[in-house]
Amino acid sequence: MEALSHIFPAQDYALLGVILGLPLLGAIGNGIFGKRVGKQAVTLMGLSSVGIAFLLCLASFCLLGSHEHGATGAPSLHWTAWTWLELGGSGPGVANFRSIVLDVAFRLDPLSGVMSLVITGIGFLIHLYSSKYMEQDPSYHRFFAYLNLFIFSMLVLVLGDSLPILFVGWEGVGLCSYLLIGFWFSDSANASAGKKAFITNRVGDFGLLVAMGLLAFYVGALDWTGIEAGRDALLTPVKVWPVSDTVPIAGLLPQSWGDFLNAPRYLDPATLVCLALFLGAMGKSAQLGLHVWLPDAMAGPTPVSALIHAATMVTAGVYLLCRLSSVFVLSPVAMFVVAVFGALTALFAATIALVQNDIKKVLAYSTVSQLGFMFLGVGVGAFEAGFFHVLTHAFFKACLFLGAGSVIHAMHARIHDTNASQDMRNMGGLRAFMPGTFITFTAAWAAIVGLPLTSGFWSKDEILFKAKTSFVAGPAEIRGNSPTGPVAFDTFQWTPAMGTVLYLIGLSAAILTAFYMTRLLVGTFFGSFRGWTITPGWTDPHAAHAHDDAGHDDHAHDDHAHAAAAHAHEEPGPSMQGPTPHESPWQMTWPLWILGGLALFAGFLNAHAVHVAPLGHFLEPVFATASKSVQSHEGAESFLYIGMAAAILVAFAGGVGFAYWVYVQQQGKPAAEWAGKYPGLHAFLRDKWRVDEFYQETIIGAVDSLADMCVWADKYIVDGILARFTAGLTQVLGTVLRQFQTGRVQAYSAIMTLGMLGVAAYLWSPQASIREEVNDRAGTYALVAAPGLGFSYRWDVDGKDGWDGDFSDSKGANFTLAVAEERTVKVAVKNAFGVASEKAFTYVRSRPDLSRPAGSADGAVRVIKGEDGKLRAGSPPSTGRPAGPDMEALKRAMERQKQEDQ
Amino acid sequence: MELGLVIEHYVLLATAIFTIGAIGFLMRRNVLVQLMSIELMLNSVNLTLVAFNRRHMAEMNGQMFAFFIIAVAAAEVAVGLAIVLQFYRLRSSVLSDEASSLRH
Repeated sequence: MEALSHIFPAQDYALLGVILGLPLLGAIGNGIFGKRVGKQAVTLMGLSSVGIAFLLCLASFCLLGSHEHGATGAPSLHWTAWTWLELGGSGPGVANFRSIVLDVAFRLDPLSGVMSLVITGIGFLIHLYSSKYMEQDPSYHRFFAYLNLFIFSMLVLVLGDSLPILFVGWEGVGLCSYLLIGFWFSDSANASAGKKAFITNRVGDFGLLVAMGLLAFYVGALDWTGIEAGRDALLTPVKVWPVSDTVPIAGLLPQSWGDFLNAPRYLDPATLVCLALFLGAMGKSAQLGLHVWLPDAMAGPTPVSALIHAATMVTAGVYLLCRLSSVFVLSPVAMFVVAVFGALTALFAATIALVQNDIKKVLAYSTVSQLGFMFLGVGVGAFEAGFFHVLTHAFFKACLFLGAGSVIHAMHARIHDTNASQDMRNMGGLRAFMPGTFITFTAAWAAIVGLPLTSGFWSKDEILFKAKTSFVAGPAEIRGNSPTGPVAFDTFQWTPAMGTVLYLIGLSAAILTAFYMTRLLVGTFFGSFRGWTITPGWTDPHAAHAHDDAGHDDHAHDDHAHAAAAHAHEEPGPSMQGPTPHESPWQMTWPLWILGGLALFAGFLNAHAVHVAPLGHFLEPVFATASKSVQSHEGAESFLYIGMAAAILVAFAGGVGFAYWVYVQQQGKPAAEWAGKYPGLHAFLRDKWRVDEFYQETIIGAVDSLADMCVWADKYIVDGILARFTAGLTQVLGTVLRQFQTGRVQAYSAIMTLGMLGVAAYLWSPQASIREEVNDRAGTYALVAAPGLGFSYRWDVDGKDGWDGDFSDSKGANFTLAVAEERTVKVAVKNAFGVASEKAFTYVRSRPDLSRPAGSADGAVRVIKGEDGKLRAGSPPSTGRPAGPDMEALKRAMERQKQEDQ
Repeated sequence: MELGLVIEHYVLLATAIFTIGAIGFLMRRNVLVQLMSIELMLNSVNLTLVAFNRRHMAEMNGQMFAFFIIAVAAAEVAVGLAIVLQFYRLRSSVLSDEASSLRH
């Protein structure tokens, strides 16, 4: 450790470059050479790059821990790779900072350190798992290239020291998510799921871009330190409406409406920035409204769902809010919006998860719900609790997804169909066939339902407790110039009643979580296996699929191989036993054991109730600035144990017990009864609240009809009128010009000869043209005739009849005019052939405009154009005024002079 | 030997040759004759250039130009005759009116 800190000083910690570079190298190596070097080399590259990155992260993390807390904030390790670009521009923030320098810089501090450990650690386990899960896939190398690229992008996201670098990683993980969701792109459902994820994320990214622009404009910095230092600038209210001075349509409306529209509205930039940032976080973290992509994202391979769509990428939004906590606490109203969205998402997704039958869909909605919990925690100002839930959720949800993958892998032995192999109705009783998966899945289940002392219990309990008691009080008054209008949300007060409502929503979601997770566990592992009879027409898939090497489900082939050997399969039919589900190989179960263990015991990293919270102490300096604005309602301490008891009794015991009664004791009869009794509600939940249908009808429908309109315009206006007109014109011209294409060389050369004769005729007589330099003010005129080979000139500029002289070489002529005088001048040009031509021009010197107080006429200021063409003030002649020009008049006169000169 | 030639004589001769060449090019249908007419025109220009060069002996621009034209004309004849040869193989004729397959 001593040596490490010696080689890599904290301000130039180049090891971060190695940590980032290894997965990138793995991605490039696998992507370019993967197909040629074979599966083993791909596995080696993919696993070792992430594994070594994890070890380096661990070493850096320990080094970080050994740094004593500085007085100025969290310990951190910096590495600046290079200067990216420098932003100039105008704005209150920019004026202070001159320009914004964007460095490609990375920083490891407690927050990003924990995140990068999760990314590389869980990432490594999932790489290991994938090496078996994807073994039979023909695009094995492509999978590992994407996965490594994802690890790289995610590390850029969390380690980036500024918002733009974070954004690079943010888009990078979005890209990898897209590529991996549509990994089996030959199925169009998978490809469109990828597209959906990508497009939905664009909505969020728009918010993030807007937030970046606002921060650059108002704060003048985009790196974390700079934003935190300049955040007070976000508290000076700005006018957000009307955009210009008045609303254009206001004049058309009745007076009172127009006044209402025109009234200026003010808002803190802080609220704007926070809401825009939250929009970005909503997209990435699948919050209510933008959640639609995450359940569909389960179309990707299961390890991808575990790594990207449960453990790491979807928590990027929470990370962003934690990272900019110091900005978010400036706007209590934005924080309240975050909390409300989080709580509603948690409840909403949990209701959907109640009735889903696809094992991955249940887990997907569970993920959305848990993300809602995280945002609820962050929204009420409990950044540490929200972030801790990110950590525990990464453990137990990755374990659940990998367990589900193991189950699906086993189910493939019997069912050669993606959807049917994920359907809970075909499972049951798998406990007996795959004990390892069962035990680890149960451990993760215990964590997510909140079994006391497991990790999920500690993190969720903390969030619920804080939802009830904690609130954001807002900043001390740092208002700048007080605006002339009302500031929106200025009087927002976070009352204890709001906290209670948030708490109750969260508690309901927790009860539902316990219920549906128990339903999932029971449906998958308990009872008897229902998969025996689901494929009555089943024949030996080995014969049918032996040559089919394009499918993704080929990893089941080896299963068939040994299963088929063990079974007699004379005739198909329901009575036939078929191959049995089986436990997965060690590459898939080891990650399960590790994650299951973490799911059970990681809670003690931050168990505040029993005063064991090393993670909390470690993260404290990161949230130090923000926590100054977070306060507790009255009676918070006394609620600590009541809340915990409620969480245990109501959420855990109630939810699990009820599910046990419904699905174990009553064999699921009550559930079927209720579904029969309220078919509308059941269908509504099964159809996921019909959000997709709603979007289909509104947004997608609107876009579609816009597209239809464009198609119509293209068909009838562009193609119908414009294209036909162009084509017709071309055709007519072509018909005319075709007559000239006789195909006779003589005709062509005759036309050419005629053309040359025309040119000769033009050159025969000279063209008299002149360039003039007119100075109307002085009355001087200079004329210069255009030059030509062998030309000679004569002029008539003296105003008298007759030429001034004979032909000569003198090209120029000058004359002067008095005011309002008119004169006609003539020039004659003769060329070498002796042919002459002449031209006449008439000049009138205009009267000075007496209506304008130009020059010395106003007696105050006169603008003189100097020899060098610059304008300067002259002293006023013969006036009694004191010397020293009147600056306003001077400016006006200068403007006039400039316009005249132009 | 002084022949009493002035520049006008050369120019007049060149004009006459050029006109003969131009008219020949326009009137005749035989491609070979047309090529010869082009040569006549080029050579009339050469004659002019060389004649003017005699008046401005200090610079040799005119003669140099004439050599250029001779070189270019040689190249042109090489290409032109090759085309005529191919054309003859194709159409068994050297009449330029026959070369009308690119006509609309």
